[in-house]
Amino acid sequence: MAWRRLVLVFLLGVPLVAVLAYGFTRDPREIPSPLIGRPAPSFTLRLMDGRELSLVDLRGKVVFLNFWASWCPPCRAEARDLEAAWRRHRDADVVFLGVNIQDTDAKARAFLREFDVTYANGFDPRNRVAIDYGVWGIPETFFLDRTGRITYKHVGALGTGIIHAKLEEARQGVASRLEGKGEYRSIQ
Amino acid sequence: MSTARSSSLLGAALALLLALAAPAGAVQDDLDAQMLAVASGLRCPVCQNLSVADSTSELARDMRALIVDQLRAGETPEEIRAYFVSKYGPWILLAPPARGVGLLVWVLPGLGAALGLGGAILALRRWARRRAPSSEPGAEAAALERVRALVSGARGGALEPEEASLVEALRELAFDHRAGKLSQSDYEELRDLYERRAADALTRADRARREAAAPPPADDAGAPVATRPRRRAWRWATAAVCLFAFGIASGFFLTRSLRVRGEGSITGDALTGTPQASTPTPVDLETRDVGALLAAGRQALTREDYPTAMKTFSRVLELDAEQPVANAYTGLLLHKGGHSDRALAAFERALARDPVLAPALWGKGLVLYEARGRPAEALRVWETLLTLQLADDDRKHVERIVAEARVKLAKASAPAARR
Repeated sequence: MAWRRLVLVFLLGVPLVAVLAYGFTRDPREIPSPLIGRPAPSFTLRLMDGRELSLVDLRGKVVFLNFWASWCPPCRAEARDLEAAWRRHRDADVVFLGVNIQDTDAKARAFLREFDVTYANGFDPRNRVAIDYGVWGIPETFFLDRTGRITYKHVGALGTGIIHAKLEEARQGVASRLEGKGEYRSIQ
Repeated sequence: MSTARSSSLLGAALALLLALAAPAGAVQDDLDAQMLAVASGLRCPVCQNLSVADSTSELARDMRALIVDQLRAGETPEEIRAYFVSKYGPWILLAPPARGVGLLVWVLPGLGAALGLGGAILALRRWARRRAPSSEPGAEAAALERVRALVSGARGGALEPEEASLVEALRELAFDHRAGKLSQSDYEELRDLYERRAADALTRADRARREAAAPPPADDAGAPVATRPRRRAWRWATAAVCLFAFGIASGFFLTRSLRVRGEGSITGDALTGTPQASTPTPVDLETRDVGALLAAGRQALTREDYPTAMKTFSRVLELDAEQPVANAYTGLLLHKGGHSDRALAAFERALARDPVLAPALWGKGLVLYEARGRPAEALRVWETLLTLQLADDDRKHVERIVAEARVKLAKASAPAARR
């Protein structure tokens, strides 16, 4: 009688504790993106130099789309790698595009000067583009293939190796199954 | 007086204004209400347990503005919800859809309630049926006999009010059963219950009468009572041991599994198990004591107070520009801030003075590996580091990173080798 009750308590209690323990191992902020493999939402962006840029104009090129802000340390950490990767790939039908969110004009420009960023960067003042891409932590980066399909998404700072690898995949139109994750800051 | 009049005038003017603006205002109110209805069903992506309607974050504010724009453009609330789901996945819905894993959330509470209720009813029935424990079985049987005699009316006599009402209830029960209002099983169950209660009442009354007549000897009352406390004490001890074990286990596992939170944690990191270096002693930056400055800097570093750490190490470098430890830690801080060039220079300065300084070797490898993309050189630096005396945890960490770097290097060189 007593052992039967004990078995019952274990049968109910162990899975319950296991579920709760599993919950502790997960990042509650993480939001899995449904966008990988789907066509990238189109947008028009006002660039730092005053020009306007539409994503539609970039069809036929591989696009590296990076959401960032000057106040975010992981964005600073990856800035040099991004610029280096851009200089290496700029002749190969690859376009790097930065989208500055939740920032001020002056601070964004100072950031670009500090890291000597030469690829195009634009403002997203009301977070419209960010919401359209389901952004929740920065830096957040999307890789788009020549048909304008999202092949990979990475939340958090990128390393040189992964940038090259994922650009190559985007060039070949290979979509990743999972998104990547590094050190990030939640946006506000 | 005058203020009251002017305020009433103001009120009238406002009322007039409102009346004029009523149509536009009504539309706006309607839009706001619709927007709030949609927003309160969406999870704020950058908050914890807040809806888009409730959050004050910039992103939630922009989302609310977006919803209003979409409503103006004639989209239905369902379409807007679908839009957000297509961007953030079903994660964004505060009420998960009743499909797949989400179905569990809808079904489990009902199932749990049903099971719990069923279990409670079963347990109650079992308790009701269980015989009341008695120390004198013979006395109980005699009391039951007396109750049955009372019910059948064979013996009257003076009864206590409680006994009288129980006897009355038993009589009514028997009447109901004869009239066919009660099933056989229900009747038997209830009859047993009432009979037992009445018997208990009778024995209690008897005992009270006996004790009033002659106080019993001390050991007579002690014998039956003594067995019960002993069992109860045993149970209490088990419960206490279990509770203690639970407390230890949760204390141990919680502190291991909780993440360290940044500043602004209301618990002051007490729950996260962060080793708080008690109250940080303010650093005296004017001192010329390099040792004290280095210790203070390291302390600031472990409590993640990077500005103070940076200031402290900078002061050391003012005193001695080539101080290797200060250079090494400054390099680590610079690397963390994304200034890999200056970080590398700091590590080189540190290694020029002390070529086997562990933090400098570690940091130099890190910069080469992470910021410069030169894993082969990083590996050479880290191999030097591994020849040194290191704490176990540090050694494991370095070995893991080195293994990772080797795999990456092998992968990167494999296609080149094939070519």
